[in-house]
Amino acid sequence: MDFRFDLIMDYAPLFLKGTLLTLGLSLAGIAIGTALGLAIGLGKMVKNKWLSLPFDLYITFFRGTPLFVQILLIHFGLVPLFTGKTEPVTAAILALSLNAAAYIAEIFRAGIQSIDKGQMEAARTLGMTHVQAMRHVILPQAFKRMIPPLGNEFIVLIKESSLAAVIAAPEIMYWGRAMQGQYFKVWEPYLTVAVIYLVITLSLSFLLNRLERRLSTE
Amino acid sequence: MKKLSLLAFFLVFSMLLTACGTSDQTNGSDEGTSEEKKTLRVVTDAAYAPFEYMDGDKIVGFDVDFVNAVAKEAGYEADIVHVGWEPVFVELEDKIADFAVSAITINDERKESYDFSHAYFLSTNKILVPEGSDIKSAADLKDKVVAVQNGTTGQEAIESVLGENNPNIKKFENTVLAIMELKGGGADAVVADNTVVEEYAKNNPDDKFVVVEDPDAFAAEYYGLMFPKDSELRAEINEAINTIYENGTYAEIYKEWFGSEPDLEDLKAQQ
Repeated sequence: MDFRFDLIMDYAPLFLKGTLLTLGLSLAGIAIGTALGLAIGLGKMVKNKWLSLPFDLYITFFRGTPLFVQILLIHFGLVPLFTGKTEPVTAAILALSLNAAAYIAEIFRAGIQSIDKGQMEAARTLGMTHVQAMRHVILPQAFKRMIPPLGNEFIVLIKESSLAAVIAAPEIMYWGRAMQGQYFKVWEPYLTVAVIYLVITLSLSFLLNRLERRLSTE
Repeated sequence: MKKLSLLAFFLVFSMLLTACGTSDQTNGSDEGTSEEKKTLRVVTDAAYAPFEYMDGDKIVGFDVDFVNAVAKEAGYEADIVHVGWEPVFVELEDKIADFAVSAITINDERKESYDFSHAYFLSTNKILVPEGSDIKSAADLKDKVVAVQNGTTGQEAIESVLGENNPNIKKFENTVLAIMELKGGGADAVVADNTVVEEYAKNNPDDKFVVVEDPDAFAAEYYGLMFPKDSELRAEINEAINTIYENGTYAEIYKEWFGSEPDLEDLKAQQ
């Protein structure tokens, strides 16, 4: 097996462009997914069954169907319905955010519910309103506990953004496939792609570790 | 240090395992030749109607009928397996498959790594556009977004106009997805083999697509069966292809799928 580094050098500028788009897709997915996830997580915790039902259905659908299917549905179905034309990058961001939101909602709910009931009761006894107690007592403690599972979700999201290659969003995996299509090589494109993803996910887990240490009280 | 050497051991071990795996494969097929009626592993990307596509769980198409006729003539049984477009090339490179049929165009680049049978089909890349489009020739595709199937001659044809890896070229997993992108409005045109786009335009009149040809920009191409380099099977298969040209079987299959007579003289002139 002769490993052709020169082919990788040929594709280096394209892989760089792809990496930027992957970072963009992932960051957008993380930002929108987290905001949406918080709202949906809180929505699901509403006591009234009828009010929490739509949030429950949302989570059921996006957590229970493959992201691959969601990407194709959104790209060829949902986006053209609204804009009149297919748009790979928009569809990829939409699919990743909506999918991540379902998981993040559950992470938020688990984090909030993991805080002892006594905390809320104590805060209310001190005269805080429910919202104040949430903001100043429950959420700060819950957030700390959410970091590891959130980090996990972010890493999954970065890796799953590679599925956007199927709708020709020119991210890393797309260029890996293009390179394979041109040279009919396996190792050169896909090992390069694997290394780039590894560098991105390792950097993210490094940052999350530091954040975790910073917030630790022990 | 200890961990490192353990890792190295596992790496070497897994490489050995893979090496064993491939050599087993070749041994297996060598032994097979002595049998009466050997089954050939023929790989394809069955997403290219009318050449090869899935009808339920069965692979059907012109290529399928053609290969079955050729294999029968040569005294073999053909087991056609749908593996996807790029795996087709990997299977041949690793000599896992005996040969591939997938409307594969014979060109010099591919001839460097693989061997081809005699040409069995004449094809040209054509442009599929929505009715009323201002695209009338390949030159009109400049500054337009064009969807193609990744790694096909359609991609090469459009790259000769727009340049390699031009961001306006969208490369898809298969031609069906490329046509869906055109339908969805994300592309202005699709470049693919004439038979595929013509069949699509004919069978889906509601989509209002028309086919534009530009023989000056996109040259004629011939399909061949693709073999691993130095395959011994090739000569036998070539002989069988010539036999079904002569005895009318080829023309029969051709007429069944395309409703016209094949130009056998032109195909034979390529040999």
